[in-house]
Order: sequence, then structure tokens, then C-alpha cells
Amino acid sequence: MDSSAESINYYGHKPAEQVEDREKKLKPTERADRARELYFSARSSTSMEFPYWYTRRWDELDGEIPVIRRAESLKAGFEHLTPVIYPGELLAMGKASYLRGSYPMPWLSEAFFMASEDKMYKEALESGKLTADIFTTVGKGGGNVTKSVGSVISIAGKFGLRVEEMPVMLEVAKKWKNRSVDDVGHKYEQMVPAYKEKEAIMRSVICMFDSGYTLPQGREVMNYYYPLQYGIDGIIRICEDAMNEVAGFPEMDRLYFYKAVITMLQGIRSWIRNYAEEASFLASIEKEEKQKAEYLDMASRLQHISSDPPRNFHDALQMLWIFHVAVLNEDAISGLSPGRVGQVLYPFWKRDVDRGLIDRETTIELLECMRIKFTEIDCFASMGVVGGVLSGNTFNNLAIGGLKKDGTSAANELEMLILETGISCETPQPTLSVLYDEKSPEEFLLKGIECTKAGAGYPAWVNNQVAMEFLLNNYGHEGMQLEEARAWAIGGCLESSPGSWMPLNLDGEIHWIPGGSAPATSVGVHFISLPKILETVIFDGMDMRTGERIFPSHGYTLETYEELWQGFKDYFSRAVYVLTLTNNIQHDAWRKISPSLVNSMLKPDCLEKGRDIGQLGARYNTTFNVESCGNTTLVNSLASLKKNVYDDKNFSLDVYRKAILENFGYHTAQETGSYSLIDQKPAGHYSEYRKIHRQSLDAPKFGNDDPYVDALFKQWEDWFCEMTHNYRSLYDQPMYACQISVSTHGPMGAVTLASPDGRLSGTTFSDGSVSAYPGTDKNGPYALFSSATCWNHSQSQNSQLNMKIHPSVVRGREGSRKFLELIRAYMRKGGFHVQFNIVDSRMLKQAQADPDKFRSLLVRVAGFTQYWVELGKQIQDEVIARTEYEEL
Amino acid sequence: MNTCTDCKFYLPVDVFKGICKLSKKEILPDDSICDKAEKVAKCKFCSQYTAEKDYLGNCMSTTLAYPDMNAAKCADFEWIRQN
Repeated sequence: MDSSAESINYYGHKPAEQVEDREKKLKPTERADRARELYFSARSSTSMEFPYWYTRRWDELDGEIPVIRRAESLKAGFEHLTPVIYPGELLAMGKASYLRGSYPMPWLSEAFFMASEDKMYKEALESGKLTADIFTTVGKGGGNVTKSVGSVISIAGKFGLRVEEMPVMLEVAKKWKNRSVDDVGHKYEQMVPAYKEKEAIMRSVICMFDSGYTLPQGREVMNYYYPLQYGIDGIIRICEDAMNEVAGFPEMDRLYFYKAVITMLQGIRSWIRNYAEEASFLASIEKEEKQKAEYLDMASRLQHISSDPPRNFHDALQMLWIFHVAVLNEDAISGLSPGRVGQVLYPFWKRDVDRGLIDRETTIELLECMRIKFTEIDCFASMGVVGGVLSGNTFNNLAIGGLKKDGTSAANELEMLILETGISCETPQPTLSVLYDEKSPEEFLLKGIECTKAGAGYPAWVNNQVAMEFLLNNYGHEGMQLEEARAWAIGGCLESSPGSWMPLNLDGEIHWIPGGSAPATSVGVHFISLPKILETVIFDGMDMRTGERIFPSHGYTLETYEELWQGFKDYFSRAVYVLTLTNNIQHDAWRKISPSLVNSMLKPDCLEKGRDIGQLGARYNTTFNVESCGNTTLVNSLASLKKNVYDDKNFSLDVYRKAILENFGYHTAQETGSYSLIDQKPAGHYSEYRKIHRQSLDAPKFGNDDPYVDALFKQWEDWFCEMTHNYRSLYDQPMYACQISVSTHGPMGAVTLASPDGRLSGTTFSDGSVSAYPGTDKNGPYALFSSATCWNHSQSQNSQLNMKIHPSVVRGREGSRKFLELIRAYMRKGGFHVQFNIVDSRMLKQAQADPDKFRSLLVRVAGFTQYWVELGKQIQDEVIARTEYEEL
Repeated sequence: MNTCTDCKFYLPVDVFKGICKLSKKEILPDDSICDKAEKVAKCKFCSQYTAEKDYLGNCMSTTLAYPDMNAAKCADFEWIRQN
């Protein structure tokens, strides 16, 4: 065994000497393989076409009704996008005119992509908006453009922009100064009396980023019903009829909304037709007959669905993709989940199968092409958002399984093929989630196991009944009944999102298809760093890294554990209070300046009500949340203080304060260049702190079925889930708890001093929300499950458990059965979610040392799968350090 | 028109490279054009465009524009007349 294996946390025995690869290997079709190779060669690229035309039209319409102005601007953007079709594609169209194309949306925020010497950038920095960017590491490999080279300028360490477009980007950005959602929201959020506290909270990275202008949409499930049922012309006719009914009557906003939807759809129709025209052009110059026929087929398909509903499965899949991209083009969005695609498209597919129009091979080829297209999606955002939160991922989560409207299992044959292509064509997008239900067929679940074992990190396993209970509790007052709760799916990486059943009429037969029925379900208070809050409690409101006061003195002597806990609750509540108010203002600016039109048109019941989603047009609107980060690091720290300071009185709190400031005698993570606890190096004065560090590490740790620490975990969860309901969203609805870390545990750990659990300064926090801290779960997976389910998960929008299992443990059919029983045990205990990395940790070490050899290696982080080489080092170190299970 | 990026057969893959729609080969945006090249509609080839400074100009004397923007879908595009 090489020396690197010594720095890996194992549960059970150590693996055999040979580094072990994953078990299941299927190859993609030749077409998908070529497309994926092209993707691997492509860099994230940004362009100015859409924002130029959007801004130009916006400025032409000064004085127009805002929603009409917005629609006209979107229309101008769509109809001027240059079509790009790549050889071999069966599904056409994308966000911009590059394979991994994206573009700035200065109408949301313009400051972060300005040159660093620009005044706007400096102002943003002072307000704390960009602090997270500084402490974020972006992946150095793969498709990221990390440095400016030749004629290409790097933005946010990820996106490349041609130098000839840089001046216009700056000019267009400046046009939005004082007009963007960011600037307008900022102007008014300063009217919140506690605004200065908010700035301090952001500078200390207690909160990772604002909500209203960064990613105002996403973390929700798409609904494709209207275009699939009516086609674009059909929806336009619906709007025209509605306009005739509402023109001149009270609630005039309905008139403008319908007119805006028509305008926007005209833009999308032109966009599709431009692609049809390009496909025809490509056919005209193509010499190879098969490719020529495919271009002609594509042109015909696009021309048809630019007006009319889809005729078959291929049309329907293309239509679904177009509207998915169209929503992504109206806002900066992550976590726009396609939802239960296999159930939405099943009626089209089954009809084609019955008519002999499609076979298994053709379906697989199309589904693999779909995987490639979803993987091409990039989201243009700041480094702190795209690197520190998203790790370059866009979280298009495709859910399978669950229940039908009538309560029977919804799993179907098309979903089996979706799983199959998840194995054969490993890509980060769309990630897959099994909505596990006791009614799910064994064959379906075992197919899911086969896919998880393949090692790409999907599907995640999600508890259908726990989610439904949460949704009924949260949306019951808006009219949700059990039947409709069954229509849910995961939005984003792991956000339970409400849905509804829509009656798709095919040849006179009604098929009830599920789809999202709410706007973004994860906006509001984004990612509060729990360990950093505890740090400020210990230091009476100060951020000792910067020397800045964050909160007023709490006034407690902290002589009892109860005082410490109360101090934590006070500061946490204060942060939620301040951030709720400021984010409500940002979202209000968003809905006024940049209202959603594409997504609103798609979401029931906006078309029926004549209102967009910002005006409560959607069926369900209790959608703001409070997100936590570092749950387990917090609770382990509380347990250590309770044990060592208050119960056993081994050390005073002052001794702890000194040890924290001195990082227990170690160098910081920034100094060592590794963000994992196990790789840290002692400094000269280490021996002074050896005892307190040892006893901090030996204090009870979450994940071992230890009632001492699990009781504190339950206390935190019960309080957190309840207290969020005390805060009201912009839509005057109670908020709820959301517990995912995504990638925030990296940068948030980077700015946090050593914590009382023995974690060292700058190292990452625990991942997920109920994962054990790496290397501290010593009693096996079932003990971890007991700890994780010490509280009721349906109180929260989610919980997140990430595990790493060595491939040898689940090898073969017997391994699959054992693996399924493991997951089933967790689900039956009430666990909401579990996901796995099936990987030999030594392979990850090798990949870190030699990334070029591992371009296609995928790992699971926290609710998403990503190419290893596109992850920042903080997250890479953390994934390596996770406990690797060598036996179950 | 000097480089591939000005050619209607240039298919951009990313900011560094593209594919020739005719030869299917990888090409770079700044590669010199071949004898099959045909000009693509861009602002800098439009009679409505006036250059002002590096990479910036105006459209119809009123609106900000930039020379390398693809203008194939612009309703006001007019080729500059060759003398």
C-alpha cells in the first residue's frame, strides 16, 4: 500500500493492495461517445449576443409597462441567438452559441464580472457580496477557463470570453448600474434597520451569498405540460382568448401578463425556427447521406414544434429540452430539475413502441443524447456561487419512481432505460434520484442499485413518504391533498418540491403526468455557517479572523452549557431575521424588474390566474427557506464543549478560546495547502495544545449511535426546523428548514477558525447535513443511520447523508442485494436521503495527483455528481477524507 | 475577412476553437481563411455599423454595437457595398 493510503479514513479493514475500479462498465453508443468526447474538449464559454439584444431592446422601451418590457427584451434575446448544431446531434439547441455556452445577465447583477479595478467591483467587495469569492477554490481542470490566455479572458475562474467581446460586456454592464436587481435591491435593503449587521454577516461568510439577484430561480421542478399538450401556437391562442376576457376589467395586470407571454413565445418560436433554418442549411452542404437525412429530420421536427404539439417521443423530448433551456435563458438559474421525465414522456414513448415506431436501441441513443445536452448546461455566476456553492454543477435532477396519482407505483420501462443510460453514458447531468417507496418494484430498485454501483454517484435514494409528509405539512394550508403530494419531485440537488398532475390528452386518452407547481423552493436565507455562528458566540459576537464585530455582545457569561446554547440560538435567530428581511427586498426587486415569464407560463396555475410566479400565480407559494451548513461540525463542537468544559470540567472556556485562536498548535489549512483535517501539520507549539486537542477529538461524535451527542443533534434539529416558521417570506408565508451543504462546507470552513470538536482552522466542515465528520463514524453504517434518524426528517425540506463505500463491498449480485437492504434499512428508519460514492479513495488520490488521466472520473459531492477535475481542491480533499466503508 | 471566425462555415465549439462545417475538421477562430470561405453576417460587415474604438462602435448612429457580433438574425443588417 502506498503511503497515501495511510491518510484515508477506513471503517472495517483496509482494502487489498491493488487500487480497485468500479464494477459495472457499459459503453455509450458511438454517437453519444463522440458527443461526450467533444464535450470533454470544450471549455466553458460565454458570449454577449443575448445580453446585448436584451439590453438594447430594454433601453428602447423606456416607459413601457415593466412586464411587457421584460417580454420584449427576452424576445429580442431569443430571436437573435446564433444557432449552433453539432455533427451527430439528435437533440438541438442550447443556451448560447457555444457547446458549453452561457452569458452574463447584467439585469440581475453586473458587478461581479467587472474588471477587479472597476469601481463597481470595489463597492461590491466592501458590502461583503464578494467575500466568499476570495475563499473559494475553483477546479483547475476539465472545461474551466481558469486563466486568461491569448485572445481569451477568464471570468470568475471558469468562463472564457473572447477579447473582442470584453469592451461590449463592460459597456452593457455599466448600462445596468443602479438598474439591476442587485443594485435596486441593495438600495432598498439598506433601509432595513439592521442592514449593517447584514454586511458584517456577509463579510464574515456566516452567510454565503444573497438570494434575490444571484440565482433567483431554480431548486424547483419544471412542468412541461402546456407545450406538450398545446404547442406554442396553442398557448398563444389560450393567452389571446384570455386577453379578450380580461381587457378593461379590474386586475389589469392579467392583461399585461398574457400579452407578455405571447411576446415571449414569439421570441422562442423564432429561436426554434432559426435552428430549423440552420439544420436545413447544414443538410444543404452535407455530403454524407445519413447525416444529411438527420439534419433534414431535425429541421422538419423543429419547424413542426415551433408551432404545434409533439407528434412522437422524439418530438416530445426535443420540446421538453427547448423549454428547459428557455427557462435557463431568462434568469441565472441552478437546480432547474426536469423532474419525472420518464413519467411525463411515457405516454408518447409507449404509443411509439406500440406502433412500432421506436425500439430499445433508438430510445437509448436518444436518452444518451439527452444526458449530453443536460451536461452542456453552464450557469454564469460569480466565483463564490459557481465554485463555492455549485462546484460548476447545475443540478438538473431527474426523478424516477415514486407513486402515481392513484397511489400505485409509478416506476415504468422508460425509467429502466433512463437508469440504463445513466450507466452506459456517465455524465454529471441529469443527476438521478430514486423516489424510494415500499411499493417500488424490486426489479426497478435493483436496477437503481446497478446504476449506483457503477460509481457515478447517482441515483441518490430519497424517501418518498417522508417527502410527502413534509409537503403536506408545508403546503396543506394552500390546499395540497395526499393525491397531489404524490406528484412531487426533487428540485435542484435535494429540495423537496411540490408538483401537480396534469391531464395529457393523447388520442382521446387522458394520462395524468406530474410536474412542478411552485416557483423556486430554495430561496430566502442561503447557507448559514453554523460553526461560524458558534465561533462568534464563544468570542461574544466577534469574528476573530478579521477582528470585526458581527453581532452585539450577547451578554452571557457562558458559565453553563444552557447559556452557550441560548447564545447560539440568539445569534442564529438574529442572522435569520436580518437575512430574511434583506433577501425579501432583493426578491421583491427581482419580481418587479425581472419577472419570470417562461417559467411562469409553464407553471400551473399562472396561465389560469393571469399572474406570474412572483405574483403568486403558481399553485404553491410557501417556498422560502433557511439553509444550514456544517450541522455535524456544530453538534460535535457543542458536544465537545459540553463534555470538556461543562460536564467533566477538563478545561475552562478561556483555555478553549486560546486553543482555538492558536489552532491547537497546528499550521492553518491555507498554510499546508490541504483542506482535510487528516493532512494538517503541527507547528512548533503543538505540544502546548496536544492534550486539549486530543480530548476534543475524543469527545463524543455524531454518527456512532451515541445518545450523548445524538441528543444534542435532535435538540438542534427540533429547534431549527421549528424556529424557521417564525419568519415570513416575501409572499407572507412561513419559511422552512433546508439542510444541504452543496459545496459551501469548503469555503465556509476556509474562513472558520479551529472548532471545539478538534477540527482545525480553514479545513472543511462536515458535508451534507447528517453525514458524520470524516473518520469519526467508527461503529459502522447502521450506527450512523441510528444517529442520522434521531430526529424526524419530515420536519425539514430535506436531510442529506453522503457515504463512501469501497467497490469490493457491493460486488456481484449478493453485493447488490446487501446494498439494497442497507438503503432500505435507512429508509425504513425514516431517513430522507442517502447517496454514495462507490470508489477506492486511493484512486481519488491518484486523480488529484494526475488529473489528466482522470478526465472522465465522476464523484458524488453533496446532492450532485461532478467531474473530479472540475472540483475545487477544498471539496476534493473533503471527498477523499470521508470515511470509506470496507464492510457493511 | 481574414480569419475563420468571419466565415459562415465556422461552427464555434468554445472560445478557443471551432469546427469547419465543410471539412468537419477542428479549426481555430484566428486561423486564416481558405478558398471556400464565405463571409458571415457580422456588424463589422454591415453598412449600418460605424466603428468608434477598439471592439466598439455604433449601429445606425444611435445604438451601441460591436464589430464581431453575429448579425445574421438582425432585421437591419445590410452588407457594406463593395466598390
